[in-house]
Amino acid sequence: MSSDSILLYSNVVALLALVSLLAAVELSVYRLVKGPDAARILQGRAIWLAWLVALVATLGSLFYSEVIGFPPCRLCWFQRIAMYPMAVVLLVGAIRREFQVKYYALPLALIGFAMSVYHVFVQWFPTLEGTSCDPNNPCSNKFVEIFGFVTIPFMAGAGFILIAVLLGFYVNQTAIPKETGRQV
Amino acid sequence: MSTKQQSPKRPAGKSESNRSLIYWIGGGILGLALIVWMAAAIANEGGGADAIAFGEVTVEGADLPFFDASATDPAIGITAPTVTGVDWNGNEYTIGPDGRPKIVVMVAHWCPHCQREVPILEQWYEDGGLPDGVDIYGVTVLTNQLRDGSTYPPSKWLEGDGWTIPTLMDDEGGSIATAFGLTSTPTYLVLDGDNNNLGRIAGEIGTDGYDALASIAAASLSG
Repeated sequence: MSSDSILLYSNVVALLALVSLLAAVELSVYRLVKGPDAARILQGRAIWLAWLVALVATLGSLFYSEVIGFPPCRLCWFQRIAMYPMAVVLLVGAIRREFQVKYYALPLALIGFAMSVYHVFVQWFPTLEGTSCDPNNPCSNKFVEIFGFVTIPFMAGAGFILIAVLLGFYVNQTAIPKETGRQV
Repeated sequence: MSTKQQSPKRPAGKSESNRSLIYWIGGGILGLALIVWMAAAIANEGGGADAIAFGEVTVEGADLPFFDASATDPAIGITAPTVTGVDWNGNEYTIGPDGRPKIVVMVAHWCPHCQREVPILEQWYEDGGLPDGVDIYGVTVLTNQLRDGSTYPPSKWLEGDGWTIPTLMDDEGGSIATAFGLTSTPTYLVLDGDNNNLGRIAGEIGTDGYDALASIAAASLSG
């Protein structure tokens, strides 16, 4: 694959990551302002959206390793362990309308997010993992850096946080307090 | 009482779902276009850049044992192989028993530690940190465009940092890296005038480290 194609693909996924981050922030603010009623905005779609994010992140990371040829480092593997199962678990939960699925997926999303944050720090501060580079595949290596700061673990972190926020929006609609009716 | 006949209003829910459907269809078309576009880009595989990233290398003599940075260098006192190579401008250099001690620094363009070290080393070199009678050579090793396209080829990275130290480019097989027993980057190697290994060190060492290596090399002149 040519370097231009890799750059093109990376720009697209970097944009997706930034949009995901923005969406996570906006949804969180909305939730803070509106309270439990905020869940109405997505109704039952939150779980499907969360699944979509997990699926895109899973396929995106596989594309980097299996098509482009970037080998995952140790920290990448930890993030994959958190993300890949959610692509399956969330789908099953969405189809079965199992609201409990968020309690299984949320820890994965949060742990994955923590790993992504640490990985980003390792890239910014390489000495966190030593003062020399392992020739095989150091986690401090930035295969991709778009807009000066969007790296692969950054993209993963954006996905994890959006999934976590969306899971917070996935509630049993009947449990949301009903809006008060107008007085006639 | 109003006599105006009110036209039946369209249920609000129906227009909302129509709008939603339009968004989904639009998004689907956009997604499909993106996939087709990317598939076309993937199919259109071009060759790599014509940048000069590797050089022809000759190695004469036995390789040094691989260097375990966590332990004492087992290769101290062992004669290093004589290495001949070129830089990206075609200048040829030989690291061998020429009577002059030397410091050899092996760096990888994608390695963040090397990226941090290079400007510091270059500044130390420009400030006259290298003693008289001691030479210094750089070697670009483990070059891999996939790992970091922004610093590829290594010449682009080094020249961007104002690098003036004579530098050999390793070949695609990593002959120089193997010859000097490289296990991580950056790695520094100090050789005496007979090309015997006086010691190796890996990692970011800063100006104090360069001063120490220079002292070791200079001491071999009188030794």
